Amino acid sequence: MSNAIDIQNLVVEFPGARGSAVRALQGLSLSVAPGQVYGFLGPNGAGKTTTMHVLLGFIEATAGAARLFDEDVRQTIARRRIGYLPEQPDTYRFLTGRELLLTAGRLFGLSRAARNAQADELLALVGLETAANRRLATYSRGMLQRIGLAQALVNDPDLVILDEPASGLDPLGRLRIREIIAVLRKRGKTVFFSSHELSEVERVCDCVGILANGRLVAEGRVAELVKAGESLEQYFIKAVS
Amino acid sequence: MIRILTLAWLVWLEMLRRKDIYVMFILLAAFLATLMALNLFGLSQVVSYLKEIGLLLAWVCSWILAVSLSTRQLPQEERQGTIFPLLAKPVNRAEILIGKWLGAWVVVSAATLLFYALLAVVVVLRGGVFGGVVLAQAGLLHLVLLGIIIALGIAFSTRLNADAASALTYVVTLAAWLVLPRVPDLVFMARGAMQTGLMVIYYALPHLELFDLRSRLVYGWPPVSGIMVLWILVYGLLMTAVLLTLGWLAYRNKRFARGAML
Repeated sequence: MSNAIDIQNLVVEFPGARGSAVRALQGLSLSVAPGQVYGFLGPNGAGKTTTMHVLLGFIEATAGAARLFDEDVRQTIARRRIGYLPEQPDTYRFLTGRELLLTAGRLFGLSRAARNAQADELLALVGLETAANRRLATYSRGMLQRIGLAQALVNDPDLVILDEPASGLDPLGRLRIREIIAVLRKRGKTVFFSSHELSEVERVCDCVGILANGRLVAEGRVAELVKAGESLEQYFIKAVS
Repeated sequence: MIRILTLAWLVWLEMLRRKDIYVMFILLAAFLATLMALNLFGLSQVVSYLKEIGLLLAWVCSWILAVSLSTRQLPQEERQGTIFPLLAKPVNRAEILIGKWLGAWVVVSAATLLFYALLAVVVVLRGGVFGGVVLAQAGLLHLVLLGIIIALGIAFSTRLNADAASALTYVVTLAAWLVLPRVPDLVFMARGAMQTGLMVIYYALPHLELFDLRSRLVYGWPPVSGIMVLWILVYGLLMTAVLLTLGWLAYRNKRFARGAML
């Protein structure tokens, strides 16, 4: 069975000052098996978002290869099986919550009946049934994060990529996101997410990868990486410094 | 196709809900008030004069709408970050460009048809009349012309922010409109590289004057032959396709960074 994510020797360079190049990723390799919840950790600027952007086809790698379910990430067909929640809950704020989900369903080519069923189910999953017909411009940050997560799930994806899903949320909001990830795990979905909330990561992840300066410096199960009496936070600081 | 239509529908819905439609209403109100108040130099009874001014206003209003709406579509997606969830779906960049073009064209065309309907009513109220076939030809060619302008605006906005793209689109369309028809005279006077350069400009820029049937409407001249209209339509569609293709070439490998087009 092919991996959900397969990255080999990925290099991404951005143009720097006076013709120089800044390397955001320096030969990154990692694999995520189907059904795994993978926490992608690293300090700011480590290359987490760049990696996700390559996986989603927003930017092309300078060298190396990235595949999703054995499809090249540059093929749009690869994106049929993934859902994505960006770090900032950016969305069309002139739409209502329900309209956003129906629009996302149309972009995935779902039938009208499937779109409506998915919208109802996802609004219930993220707890936004009562706000479904309100414009997104009136949503709070936490609600936008949840509706963003719902639109990421509209195609019933096999792989869900979440960029800092709990960032800026209150404890209740974080709990809700954790519950949703648990539901996705139960359904056998692969979840690949970045986070700075290490306690969250410890609770929900099967496996973590720690990125520093564009390189993977540690990878494995939390229980295997962290020694007795040590926290993931202590291990993380040691790994990246 | 459903993805292109969905993106076009989003453009339409956004214009309605973000109150942009009021800009169009203000333009319409100004248009109507200007037409009804026309009594300069005691010429209020001269219907051809009314038609001329009315059509000029309709052209200017639709031009402003076309440029402002088309040049902000892509930069706005990038500035607001909505491009990221959009590109994470199985939508390719060509579909984004065509969807945006179609949405903007439908909005601007609807406004332009309203302008024409309003003008026809005012002309009839003043005792004048438009030739039906010429009016249909003029309206059709005007809509195709707007398609070219919108494609130009979208092509520029693939790499420029909204302000720069709209300024450039205004300059290029004005140059194409006012200067291009005079280029052949300059070609005869120029020599060498200058002559070649002028020839290149003459053939590369869209010939907007081909789509202008205002004189026929104003002075009641007969319609253009069907074959000629067909050729102009083909030219307009080709020019739109070329501009969208150039836009796609600039857009297809573009790297997106949050806030890069602020």
